[in-house]
Amino acid sequence: MTDVVRFTNGYLALPDGTAAKADLYISPSTGLIISGQSSFYSTTSLPARTIDLRGNLLCPGLIDVQINGAFGIDFSELDLTAPGDEGERKYVEGLEHVAKRLAEFGTTSFVPTIITQKEELYAKLLRLLRPRSPPDSAHILGYHAEGPFLHPLRRGAHSSTLLMTASSNPPINTFDKVYGKEGLDQEGVKIITLAPDVEGVMGCVEELVQRGVTVSIGHSDATLEQAEEAMKRGARMITHLFNAMPPIHHRDPGVIGLLGAPDHRPYYGIIADGYHSHPNTVRIAYKACKEGCVLVSDAQTIMDPSLPDGVHPWRDGIKFRKEGLKVLVDGTNTLAGSAAPLAPQVHNLSKFANIPIPEALLGATLRPAQLLGGEIARRKGQLTEGYDADLCVMDWQGKVLSTWVGGKEVWKDQSFVE
Amino acid sequence: MRLTIRDTKDQVGNYIGDYIAKRINSFTPTPAHPNIVLGLPTGSSPLPVYKRLVELYKDGKVSFKDVITFNMDEYVGIPRDHSESYHTFMFSNFFSLIDIDPKNTHILNGNAEDLYKECEGYEAAIKAVGGIDLFLGGIGADGHIAFNEPGSSLTSRTRIKTLAYETILDNCRFFNNDLSLVPRMALTVGVQTVMDAKEVVLVVTGQNKSLALSQMIEGGVNHMVTASALQTHPWALVVCDEDATLELRVKTVKYFKSIEKVQDEVEAKYGPVASVRLGLSRATAA
Repeated sequence: MTDVVRFTNGYLALPDGTAAKADLYISPSTGLIISGQSSFYSTTSLPARTIDLRGNLLCPGLIDVQINGAFGIDFSELDLTAPGDEGERKYVEGLEHVAKRLAEFGTTSFVPTIITQKEELYAKLLRLLRPRSPPDSAHILGYHAEGPFLHPLRRGAHSSTLLMTASSNPPINTFDKVYGKEGLDQEGVKIITLAPDVEGVMGCVEELVQRGVTVSIGHSDATLEQAEEAMKRGARMITHLFNAMPPIHHRDPGVIGLLGAPDHRPYYGIIADGYHSHPNTVRIAYKACKEGCVLVSDAQTIMDPSLPDGVHPWRDGIKFRKEGLKVLVDGTNTLAGSAAPLAPQVHNLSKFANIPIPEALLGATLRPAQLLGGEIARRKGQLTEGYDADLCVMDWQGKVLSTWVGGKEVWKDQSFVE
Repeated sequence: MRLTIRDTKDQVGNYIGDYIAKRINSFTPTPAHPNIVLGLPTGSSPLPVYKRLVELYKDGKVSFKDVITFNMDEYVGIPRDHSESYHTFMFSNFFSLIDIDPKNTHILNGNAEDLYKECEGYEAAIKAVGGIDLFLGGIGADGHIAFNEPGSSLTSRTRIKTLAYETILDNCRFFNNDLSLVPRMALTVGVQTVMDAKEVVLVVTGQNKSLALSQMIEGGVNHMVTASALQTHPWALVVCDEDATLELRVKTVKYFKSIEKVQDEVEAKYGPVASVRLGLSRATAA
């Protein structure tokens, strides 16, 4: 007897952006996608469980490489005043709470993102953000440190007093000091969003990449030439394209101009909630460079799609008003932050760029996995034999019906009866 | 031998599919022979048959839970998961779509350490389940059945075979059009293994099989057309489409069509059991 699970009567989202009517087999005991044929002939037993997908789409679990928090939790907040290790305990508890709830929205892996912090916080935070896989939850892959080496002119919501330059000699010493040598060399995913146009930063890109860091250009005032130089040195990504960088100018396209490079184009994170970038802008970016498009939630503490629309208390007497996926500071038209998980963004991208859902899915599955490279690219982001059985069943409107992590069903919508 | 002619290959598939389902459903288990045992082919000709059987299964009209199967042949030296292996063919076109128990399926292992032992074991396994009740087969353009190429002994049993040059060329299209990648050997049941089945059903469709069909039916029993051995089988049925009849004599076609008509009339008058009683379903009319 095996414990093999077979998904049938649905469509598989394939790495080429198409969908095919086919069966998928997974082994819960190994947590991997397996060959149904090998299992049939080798184990000579039938799957223990067959799931009728009823025409829905089975896709790889979604991967979010930029998420600042959600469900009331802020990944940048660590209480240092609490006695003993109470602060750290609460932090991990919050992190795991988010990991659990993200599974409801089809996200099976994410990279918690911390905005520019006081220097002394980094070493502590990064240590807490080593890869972990809490039970029945999305995987925490590592960390994404947004800052502090950002350009003051493009700082967005980051605190200007905390921004830094790498003016030491050699400049990498400043990186080692801020993130801690251990933090820079720890296992798992390490993304650093930096501005290569900030003093000393360009010279550190190569070494960071060698040490396993995924370097992303963001919050930067760089010219196209500077951005190209950073790419040459190993940067792979642009953080939330269009936001916190000079708008594109036809004679001096700046960081965004990388999308038009004749070769060696970057991955770029984009928030396809329909508010942070206009749908037409998303379409322009996608059509210019679809092979780089990575959907990110860039979610903030307020992200909780299960909250009803209306006014909710926030912090320090401020309230926020939720209208679907749009969240505003109450009484204003100011966006309070991103609040759209990846699944509805897949549907949005499909609409905005006029592409089929299976193609839009690549932006939240295959491409983020390939952006992260290494072990992640070899294990996640596609429905291929030998890859992790992190899966998501989605209807053709982008609604998540069931989520599987490591071969185990961790969440199921009540409407989805097998 | 009986020959049934249908207009198209899909109709041929439906006819044989229904025929096999009827055999499965009317099978009476005995202690000595508790399961119905089928011999199965691969290739494009039998595809419509499998399609029909899967439809019948999905409609709840037949179950394969208690069916035992033996496949005719498998290449030597290509991985079991290779896209052109007969393991892959059977899994993707049939086994994965029905409720058959993997333990009840048998396909020769072309990667076995000892190929001779593999073949002997296969014959023994067929014997152990009480023999094959119905062997479904196709024929090659040169009249071969399974991989029993022209010149094969008509009393052959499961063994290693070198493929005929014609077969290798024909298979080239499945292997990137690279002749060097095409397997040159296969394991196959023998002509006698097929002949030992209680009943043999052949599916023959397409104009390219018409010469082979005329040779196996209108010619003599001949080892250059190994399927012709079926002329001496007590219960053989050939189902073909109109295209495959192109090389047959008009007289032959008309004769076989008239037999079917007689059988229909007998069944209409005496009911379906009547033809069994009269021995008609045993194809002795021909």
